[in-house]
Amino acid sequence: MSPTVEDAMSEQPPAAAYTQAESYAPMEAAVADLVTALPGFPGFERRLWAKTPCSHDGLDDPRYTNVEIEYRFSQEDSQRAEVREHYADVLRDHWAGLGYEIIADRSIAARDRTDRDLIAFRPADRVKLWYSVAYYVSIRIRSGCVPVSDLSEIAYVPPVGGIVPGGVKDQVGRYFPDGIPVEPTDPFESPDSYDDAL
Amino acid sequence: MSELTWQHLRDLDCAAIRALGDAWKSHVDAMLDQAERLRTDVIDGHLGVEHYESDTATQVREQIGLTADRYEDDLSDYASTRIATTLFEAADAFEKEQAEIKELIPLIEQHDFDIEGDRHDYEVNLSGDLHQAILTLDPPQWLCDKVGIRKPDGFWDWDTVKALFNSVDLYGTAIELAGQYQDWLRSVMSRAHDADDEAAAALQEMSENPTELPPQLGATYDDLVDDYKTELSQEVADEAKAIADGTSGMSPEQVNQWWEGLSDAERQSLIEEHPEWVGPVDGIPTEQRDTANRTLLDNEITGLDGRIAAKEQALNGMDPESDEYEQAKAELDDLRQDQKDLTRLQDHITNADGTPKTYEATDQQYFLLGYGTEGSGQAIVSIGNPDTADNVNAYVPGTTGNLAGASGGLMDRTETMARDAANASSEETATVLWLGYDAPDTIVPEAMQDKWAQDGAADLEDFTKGIRATAEGEPSNLTLTGHSYGTTMVGTAAAQEGVEADNLVLIASPGTSVDTASALGVDEDNVWASTNDEDVIQYGPVHGEAPVNEEFGANTFTSDSPREPTEWWKFWEGATENHSSYWDDGSDEGEPNNEISRSNQALIVTGQEEGVR
Repeated sequence: MSPTVEDAMSEQPPAAAYTQAESYAPMEAAVADLVTALPGFPGFERRLWAKTPCSHDGLDDPRYTNVEIEYRFSQEDSQRAEVREHYADVLRDHWAGLGYEIIADRSIAARDRTDRDLIAFRPADRVKLWYSVAYYVSIRIRSGCVPVSDLSEIAYVPPVGGIVPGGVKDQVGRYFPDGIPVEPTDPFESPDSYDDAL
Repeated sequence: MSELTWQHLRDLDCAAIRALGDAWKSHVDAMLDQAERLRTDVIDGHLGVEHYESDTATQVREQIGLTADRYEDDLSDYASTRIATTLFEAADAFEKEQAEIKELIPLIEQHDFDIEGDRHDYEVNLSGDLHQAILTLDPPQWLCDKVGIRKPDGFWDWDTVKALFNSVDLYGTAIELAGQYQDWLRSVMSRAHDADDEAAAALQEMSENPTELPPQLGATYDDLVDDYKTELSQEVADEAKAIADGTSGMSPEQVNQWWEGLSDAERQSLIEEHPEWVGPVDGIPTEQRDTANRTLLDNEITGLDGRIAAKEQALNGMDPESDEYEQAKAELDDLRQDQKDLTRLQDHITNADGTPKTYEATDQQYFLLGYGTEGSGQAIVSIGNPDTADNVNAYVPGTTGNLAGASGGLMDRTETMARDAANASSEETATVLWLGYDAPDTIVPEAMQDKWAQDGAADLEDFTKGIRATAEGEPSNLTLTGHSYGTTMVGTAAAQEGVEADNLVLIASPGTSVDTASALGVDEDNVWASTNDEDVIQYGPVHGEAPVNEEFGANTFTSDSPREPTEWWKFWEGATENHSSYWDDGSDEGEPNNEISRSNQALIVTGQEEGVR
């Protein structure tokens, strides 16, 4: 008998390693780790938190979501061969060395460039790491389908890769409707000593 | 109803229709000069105050001026917008379908099929000769090739025996091909009839509602002219209402011409005083629709406060055990849900100060092109302005798509598509969530039915025509991306009504209402279907041939990639045949389906199809 929405809801999905709220910290840690592996890392242009729906038997299940963290290089850096080619090779070896499964590594001849999708999978927590080389180059960490959390449960994790926490390029604001909770800095505050500045 | 037959369509002189449209356009330009001459040479000229003064001079000049205005309006509204544009649009539509007929009819004839039946329901059947050929074990070469046997040479040899044993295959194969041609033919005729009927409606509405001329000069002129001027000022509103109600017979292109012909003050007045006649209308530019729709949304949310309060009060006076109470309670729950869904939608696309919000990932504004609370609810929201974008991708959701999703999972998917397109190209892509139809709520029985797609087909057609009509500069590269039942919606609109899309992308499709990509009216090279191994169409291709099947004739693109062993020698870690994923994208089994599919889709919607695989 074909499934209905109700049937789909009543089936039990596989246990997830995290809830939505719990997934951000380990995923951000994966980005912090890969940054250390990239030689001459130029910094990222922006960070974004997003999510995609989870569907079972063709129906979206609103109880679950697939968290995605994206860090994107600048357009200038995205055109560099080091970022487009060398970093992909470095990450492939790095992730394989960490015991991750390389589940995709394909090159695509786009119109006036060569794109690449390098995707690794961490079986322990089903996190995917996707180095996407297109017009922009970006790293996307995906949680797999995890139970949805209330916004109030989601804790801020400071960005890596040169993104200013709470700045314009730290695009996580919709998860913190009362404002991104970073420590404010007083621009007029004097340092304890000027010795190092003289 | 159109009486066009396939022979009429094949033999139609489309150039003559277009030439007639050109003739009307030339006539309009010439006559506009005459209208201006009435003002300059007559009103300000020989009947001007310097040369003509009497008790009735002012009335005469006014009457001539009103007549010149009426003449100009009619030239613009009727001769140009209605007659000429209708002729151009009909010529374009007929020419497109004529090209298909000219490709299809020879194929039907070459394969010895016959076309039978009514022009609205053609059948393509095996001819008597073909029946005979199969029965006498003398099948034509093309059929032998399709079935994979050598053509028997008339003697009782192995080829003849094979033909005998393959007679079922021969018939089945021939019938299947005839069915595909029938599908294609019916779709072509459906679109041609639709174009014919639409053209007729536009012209008929004009002839049934002639405009009034100013009152004639004479004793009653003063009594009548004020009423005439009042009606004049009401004309724009009446036209706008008829357009919004769908009774004007005008296409989105004609609506756009009408809109551009209004003064700034008239447009602003409509937006402010009657946003309900502006917001939902295809053919009116996006920015103005967005302004009007936001006003409507705000008013509706506010209005719901009052309706909810009234319903709560009514409930207080009812017997809680009564059926009346139960019904009123259900209505109250619906109102509260509507308010919740509409408020969430508003919050998603609007800043705290009331200004339109920008999707920060792509730095594009949200534009509200429509919404509704009937049935499952509707929402049409664009990320980026489709009037100015190089590419437009309209995502059509499937089963359980509803108003709540417009600020939930459906919007998440739309935003992901927008982000992927921005990462894939330097060109701007506007990504539209098009939930402009009442999507089915259940797989069984609703998603098995075609009524939801049938009911929404004309609206999706108009949406695509509206995108073309309001484009500033070159037309965008327009893609319709259907997901699940959304592919049935896209396919039904494309096959029956015709859509002005460059590309169709069909993901997890239970069928598109036709059995062949040829029947969709879009270049088959630009019809794409996903071969996602985890596509869950548990209820089978109930709406026609699955578009991923080779017989359908679409391009397919992969949504997965062979798994690679963690060590070179661990060959058993390669691609597996039996997937056991709970989630459709295979994420729980470490499948890269979603990611690969996204890369491919981004290339398609940004016009980089050569990279797709």
